[in-house]
Amino acid sequence: MEEMIKTKDLKYKYKTTYEEKGKTITKEITALDDINISIKKGSFVAVLGHNGSGKSTLAKHINALVKPTSGTIWVKGMDSKDESKLWDIRQTAGMVFQNPDNQIVATIVEEDVAFGPENLGIPRDEIIKRVDAALKCVSMEKYRKNEPARLSGGQKQRVAIAGVLAMKPDCIVFDEPTAMLDPEGRKDVMETIKKLNKEENITCILITHYMNEAVQADRVIIIDDGRIVMDGTPREVFVQVDKVKGYGLDVPQATEIAYELRKKGIDIPADIMTAEEMVGAICRLK
Amino acid sequence: MPIKVDHLTHEYNPGTSMAQKAVNDVSFEIQDGEFIGLIGHTGSGKSTLIQHFNALIKPTSGKIYLDGEDINADKSKLKSVRRRVGLVFQYPEYQLFEMTVLKDVCYGPTNLGLSEGEINKAAKEALTLVGIDESYYEKSPFELSGGEKRRVAIAGILAMKPKILVLDEPAAGVDPRGRNEILEAIKKMHDETGITVIMVSHSMEDVAKYANRILVMDKGKLAMEGTPKEIFSKVDELEKIGLAAPEVSYIMRGISKKFDVPSDIFTVEEAVDAIYKMLKGDSR
Repeated sequence: MEEMIKTKDLKYKYKTTYEEKGKTITKEITALDDINISIKKGSFVAVLGHNGSGKSTLAKHINALVKPTSGTIWVKGMDSKDESKLWDIRQTAGMVFQNPDNQIVATIVEEDVAFGPENLGIPRDEIIKRVDAALKCVSMEKYRKNEPARLSGGQKQRVAIAGVLAMKPDCIVFDEPTAMLDPEGRKDVMETIKKLNKEENITCILITHYMNEAVQADRVIIIDDGRIVMDGTPREVFVQVDKVKGYGLDVPQATEIAYELRKKGIDIPADIMTAEEMVGAICRLK
Repeated sequence: MPIKVDHLTHEYNPGTSMAQKAVNDVSFEIQDGEFIGLIGHTGSGKSTLIQHFNALIKPTSGKIYLDGEDINADKSKLKSVRRRVGLVFQYPEYQLFEMTVLKDVCYGPTNLGLSEGEINKAAKEALTLVGIDESYYEKSPFELSGGEKRRVAIAGILAMKPKILVLDEPAAGVDPRGRNEILEAIKKMHDETGITVIMVSHSMEDVAKYANRILVMDKGKLAMEGTPKEIFSKVDELEKIGLAAPEVSYIMRGISKKFDVPSDIFTVEEAVDAIYKMLKGDSR
C-alpha cells in the first residue's frame, strides 16, 4: 500500500523566553525528537499523548504549518521543505482544529464550505458540486442556508470538516475535534470521521484525549516528550495498562474493568476493549 | 449559603427577529455543600444560566436568591455577591497573566483590598487546595503543564474564598492525568472546606463520579434533576436530548441482560465490585 505520510529522523526545536526571579531565561525545547513513522494511505491512526507531548506539533508538520528543524517529512511523497510544493501539501493534507468557532469564516454554511475551493480558483460549477458533496458527506445538507453561529457545536464541527473536504484532500488531521462537544456532537463527529475513512478512503489522523475514540482507529501511536513510545493496534497498545497510564493517559473503561478484575484474581482476558467483549468474556467464565 | 433560582428566564435580543430564550422559566434550589453536576447539549443554556449566579448577566424575568436575598435587588451589594460566588470560565488558563504563579493567584485578593499578609495567606491556601506546592510559587505560569495551569487559574478564584464555586467545563481539553488531577483537587476542596460546587461538564463519566445531584438542561429548560443514579438510569431520555450515560453503564447494561448484576452502575470501581461479586456467586 502507498504511503501517505513518512518521516525520517524528524526533529523540531524551538526557543522559548520567559522571566523568572527578574531574569530573562531562554530555553531550547525539543518538541519532536527523531520521529520515524510511516502512515499508509487509507489508514485511520489515533495519536495520543499528554498536553505538551508534541502531538500537535507533529500534526502541524503534516500540512507544513511547521517545518522540521532537521530530518524530513514527506506528504504523499512531497518534502515539506520544498517551497514549491507548499500549496500541494496543504491541499493534500487538511486540518480540523479543536474549536469550530475559530474555523468558520462565512455567515452562511454553504459559503463557508465554498471558501477553500474559491481560494483555489476552481470554476463555479465545480465548487457547487463539491459543496453539495461535502455537505452530504457530513450529513449537513439540510443546513446549507443556515447561519453557522446558530448551529450546535457538533454541527459546526461537521461544517468545518465539510470545508476541508471541499478541498478534496487525501488526508485529514483532526486535532482534538471533539474536545468541546457534548456526547451527541462527539458521536456524530466520530461517525463522520469513520465514514470519510471507510467510504471516501481518506487517511485520517485523529489526535484525541478520549480513549473510547482511539479504540475505533486501526492504529494507535503514543507520543511522550516528543518521542514515539508506543505504536500498534489499539488492542496491542491498551493491553499494556500500566505503561499507558505511566504516560499520563488512560485506557478504555472496559479495559480498565478487566484490568482491575485480573488484579483480584479473575481469569479474564486483558485485552478487552468494548462492552460486547466484556459480556462475551464473562459468558465464557460462567 | 443556598442558591434559589425562581422562574428565571433570559432572552437574548428581545423584541427582534433574533430573539431567543437561552434560559426559559427555570426554577431550582441548591443547598450548602452540594456538588452539583450541570449537563446539557451545546446551546442548552448552561453557560447562560451560570453567569446569572454571580450577576454577570441579569435575568429578563425571574429572580436568583443567595442566602434568601435577591442578588439583583441592590446594586451596591454586587461586589459582595461576586466575592461569595466564584466563577471559573472555560479555559481559565488563558486568563493567567502575571510573572509568577503566586502573583497571579494574589491578583484577586489584592483587588478585595486585603492586607499583604492576608493576601499571601489566601493565595497560598488556595494553591495548597489545588495541589500546587511551594516549589511552583516563583515559576512562570506559562511554564506549567496544561493541568497545572488550569489548577493555578482555579486557585486564583479560590483565593477570594467564595462560598460557592461554579466551574464551566473545568477539565475540557486536558489530558487524562491532568483531568484527574483537576477533578480530584476540586473534590478534595469540596470535602475539606464544605464549599458548594456547581460543575458544568460534557463528560458523563466525570459527573457520575463526582456530583451528588445532577441538573439537566435541554433547550433552555430544566429537563431533569436527581441523583446520578436517578438521572443515568434514564438512558433513552438522555440520548434523546443529545446526552448519554457514562461508558460503564453501557457495559453493565449489556452484562445485566444475561447475568444477575445491577444495571444502575456508573463508575469503574462499582462495576469491578459488582462483576467480581457476581462471578464469585454472592451477588445478592
